Amino acid sequence: MRPQYNHHPARFLLIILLGVFVSSCQSSQQPTTLRYGLTLAPSGLDPHLNASAELGIPLHSVYDTLVVRHPETGEFLPSLAMAWHISPDGRVYTFNLRHDVVFHDGNPFNAAAAVANFDYTVNPEHNSQKASAMLGPFKQALAVDEFTLQLVLQEPFAPLLDSLSQVYLGMASPEALDQWGASDYQFHQVGTGPYRFVEYIPNDHIILEKFADYSWGPEIYANDTAAIERIEFTFYEDPATRAFALERDDVDIIGEVPPQDALRLSEQAEFTLLPVPIPGQPLQYFLHTQRSPTDDLLVRRALAAGVDRIRITKTIFGDLSPIAKGALSAHPFASILPTPQVNVPEASALLEQAGWSDTDDDGILDKDGQEFQIDLIAPPWGSNPDVAQLIKADWEDLGAEVNLVIASSFSGLRQLQSENQYHAIGLNFFGTDADLLRPFYQSEGVYNWSQVQAAELDELLASGAAHTDVPMRNAAYQQAGEYIAEQALILPIRDYVNLIVHRNSVSNIQFSAQGWFPFLIDLEFGS
Amino acid sequence: MRRKLGMVFSIGWIMGLVLLSVLGPLLMTLEPSQPIADPLLSPRTHPPLGTDALGRDFFSRVLYGSRWTLVAGSLAAAITVLGGTSLGLAASVSVRWIDRFLIGLINAALAIPGLLFALLLTASMGPGFRTVILAIGFGLVPGYTRLARAIFLQVRHEEFILAARSLGARPISIAFRHILPNGLRGLMSLAALHFSWSLMGITTLTFLGLSGDPSIPELGALLNAGRQYIRTAPHLSLIPGTIISLMVLAVYHISDALD
Amino acid sequence: MVPVSDRPRIRILILLLRRLGTGFLTAFAALTLTFFILRLVGSDPVDTLLAQGLTSLEQAEQLRKDLGLDQPILNQYASYLAGLFQGDLGASLYTRRSVLQSILEQFRWTLELAFSGLVVGILGGLLLGISASWWRESSIGAFAATLASLLTAVPVAFLGIVALWISSKTPTSIPRTILPTIVLGITISGPMARLILAHLSESLEGPYILAARARGIRRSFRLLWHALRPILPPLLSLIALEAAFLFAGTVVTETVFSRPGLGRLMVRAILEGDYPVTQGLVTLAALFYTGSHIIADWLALLFDPRLRELS
Repeated sequence: MRPQYNHHPARFLLIILLGVFVSSCQSSQQPTTLRYGLTLAPSGLDPHLNASAELGIPLHSVYDTLVVRHPETGEFLPSLAMAWHISPDGRVYTFNLRHDVVFHDGNPFNAAAAVANFDYTVNPEHNSQKASAMLGPFKQALAVDEFTLQLVLQEPFAPLLDSLSQVYLGMASPEALDQWGASDYQFHQVGTGPYRFVEYIPNDHIILEKFADYSWGPEIYANDTAAIERIEFTFYEDPATRAFALERDDVDIIGEVPPQDALRLSEQAEFTLLPVPIPGQPLQYFLHTQRSPTDDLLVRRALAAGVDRIRITKTIFGDLSPIAKGALSAHPFASILPTPQVNVPEASALLEQAGWSDTDDDGILDKDGQEFQIDLIAPPWGSNPDVAQLIKADWEDLGAEVNLVIASSFSGLRQLQSENQYHAIGLNFFGTDADLLRPFYQSEGVYNWSQVQAAELDELLASGAAHTDVPMRNAAYQQAGEYIAEQALILPIRDYVNLIVHRNSVSNIQFSAQGWFPFLIDLEFGS
Repeated sequence: MRRKLGMVFSIGWIMGLVLLSVLGPLLMTLEPSQPIADPLLSPRTHPPLGTDALGRDFFSRVLYGSRWTLVAGSLAAAITVLGGTSLGLAASVSVRWIDRFLIGLINAALAIPGLLFALLLTASMGPGFRTVILAIGFGLVPGYTRLARAIFLQVRHEEFILAARSLGARPISIAFRHILPNGLRGLMSLAALHFSWSLMGITTLTFLGLSGDPSIPELGALLNAGRQYIRTAPHLSLIPGTIISLMVLAVYHISDALD
Repeated sequence: MVPVSDRPRIRILILLLRRLGTGFLTAFAALTLTFFILRLVGSDPVDTLLAQGLTSLEQAEQLRKDLGLDQPILNQYASYLAGLFQGDLGASLYTRRSVLQSILEQFRWTLELAFSGLVVGILGGLLLGISASWWRESSIGAFAATLASLLTAVPVAFLGIVALWISSKTPTSIPRTILPTIVLGITISGPMARLILAHLSESLEGPYILAARARGIRRSFRLLWHALRPILPPLLSLIALEAAFLFAGTVVTETVFSRPGLGRLMVRAILEGDYPVTQGLVTLAALFYTGSHIIADWLALLFDPRLRELS
């Protein structure tokens, strides 16, 4: 028989009080680990070889880059390179490197280490998905002396500095690259940044720990060394689970919260909503210029005018997302193109002008016995499936028969594209240099999904890439943007905004010029 | 007695759903895929069931959704029953080695769990509503064949068939004249059971987002779309989920009663 | 005496070995089937690789060679088998990492979920099944029986959503691992309860049991064990079946609850067209399925002497 005194009410109360006291003691103590929710489990985590934006969220703070961009002005500032010089012909970049930098494994950072990084990235056997392309017409990297690095290009390439400011070209320890090789380095990353890479278990977590010796941070960082000891990243691929994760107190901060959830959380006292604009292309659909009926400019214009972007954006994103104005986001590429307005009567008039009318009275337009059929392909991520459904509804209103297919993944999307059975297909990339447009609109571009072949556009984009003169570049891109709009090559919907929600116990949240990457070094607990 | 009552309820419920989904479009003037109001309106502001996350009338989506699910489930079950019955019949009357080979093939397919088998087929054919129906229909064939074959084998050993055989009737005529009709009752129960599984399978695949076009109102897709709003608008997922469960349960009951 | 008791033992041994042999053949046929479905019906793996951002056709050709995809399909099949017997399942098209390694990493999560789900499911199934048959004349039994068939009909996905909904209504937070376990357990307990109900109702009608129930409850619980014993073989094979299907059940559970594991790995591999991973996982599932069936058959033989006589 157990003694009965356990059940005495006063004792019971005492235990509860004690419990409350103990737990309040614990919560008054400053936590040392920050829990950061990631939204996509990348298929590979090596920034030199893999392409996801998500990997930069932790890794931006594991690596330093040669230069950095100011988050607001976009100006290039020194980081691992104290100064740099571009040859008059734009083909040779010379960098004077810092002398005091060491990798997390104790190896010194110098020109030879930088050269090893470029060699690793462009090595064709490593199949770099993004970083090697970011180097453009790269020829070679040379160590002129211990702390002087030279990058030689085959032809001038204006976006180079922007590329060098990104985590994909962050400087890694040559010893670690050599020791682990292309398939395993992702699990043993060594940089010079404010945080050390501790552990990565795919689909489960990434752990970073403060690098106490860090003292060479660029001026865009407020702190000299990291304020928080340890950061644990976990994955929430399913958008529906992200708000839960915050409310269950599983994470302190998480991005890409679905708009409805973000708004609801922002009304609660313990959370703050931080909408962060992401530079690059808007959420957009390419209209096929070589396949009937969208090969007709009138039809493309009608399809663009018939879509109510303002309502779509408001329905799906609330007031949190700006309507797209053109081929690049308004921030930071201040665009001069007017906000597109929906104009259903005009759209119908354009279609009639193009010869489409409902002669057989079945509710669907036709011309020469052909039904007005539009094949729409959407990517599976983000809000694309929702946006695509509303576009479909609007086009059906115009009298089209719309076949919508949501691709299963990025490779599924590429495959559907290569089958060439589409009229509209969605894709957008992010970036801080307008050269981003080149692969999408140049005749030979890898992502030329409008299949546009225009010498005028090719020339404009080539001159934008080749000239380092900023006003000249801007003029070229503006003309290119106007051409894209006139020809209705795309249906732009909204500029991308990353909806970050964080507990109010975390403060000082700043993001890099690319928008995605937080300055983990400056994060602090307490308001 | 209780069983009979259950059967009446089950058939009544399924007939009711069929009627609703046939008559629904006549009753409802609202298009299920066109947004008509603000998103996520509550049932009180926009009766009877409010609007979904894209501002579409949820009641008409549920009505059309029941129809899509029932039709897709029936098509998949038809594939299963036709394919499985003919394979089972063939196995039960053919020479020993063909039977052995078919059984080996079926066992191999059964060693891959059903959902994985369907996923595998979807992966090979690419996402789309047609794919989902085919994947579930063909995915259930092996299991059905095995059970159908067992029924046929039982019938085959009955005396009148042995008699027919000794009178020199050809295997094909035995199969269609004698074995098939006599196994019919067992087959009907089996067909109903597989119909309930195909409903379950279809909604699972569409829930996983493999239907290609989410604007098609299908109950599994509705369940998937609604779960993001489980806190603010739980009815968006609870209603389609409940209808699926009751649909499967009713068909299951019918199969039980036929057995 | 010795030879008499020895003969059936040898017979059992032969039976067990034969079962092992057919099980092995079945698993082998399953992986062959998968191989040909993936290669002949599926998309060209090089398209998948091109989608990763490889741009030049030379690169694609090189990859095709590296992966042995320029060989005839039968040669590819032979070299796949050769690798398999050395424990090499190939490498992922995306991460370039060994498939076996990726599977082992995720295995822990699925095993944890599947095992705890199975335990919850067996306990719940026994509880529901026994109470449905024991009190089958009263409303408790009717309720249990209805619940059991309802649980068979509810899709895992919906059950998971309901669990999330209920947990969002409770003030205290429920630990993350408990909900998926309960959801998975409930889906198993439905069919199990129905099986127990079907078999137990018959044996409970037996005169011994009726007499025992008339005499007193303590005695009759002991008899319940006697009534349960004959249904152990079908119960075991159902558990084996459920254990194998758990692999599929975790696909949905892991998706609903955003948990890592083999199910997520599978869905991802299928969506991305990463065929070596898909192939590896299906092979594993087939081995697991046949393995658990063989064990169930063996246990059934050990438990039920009548089966021995029959075979």
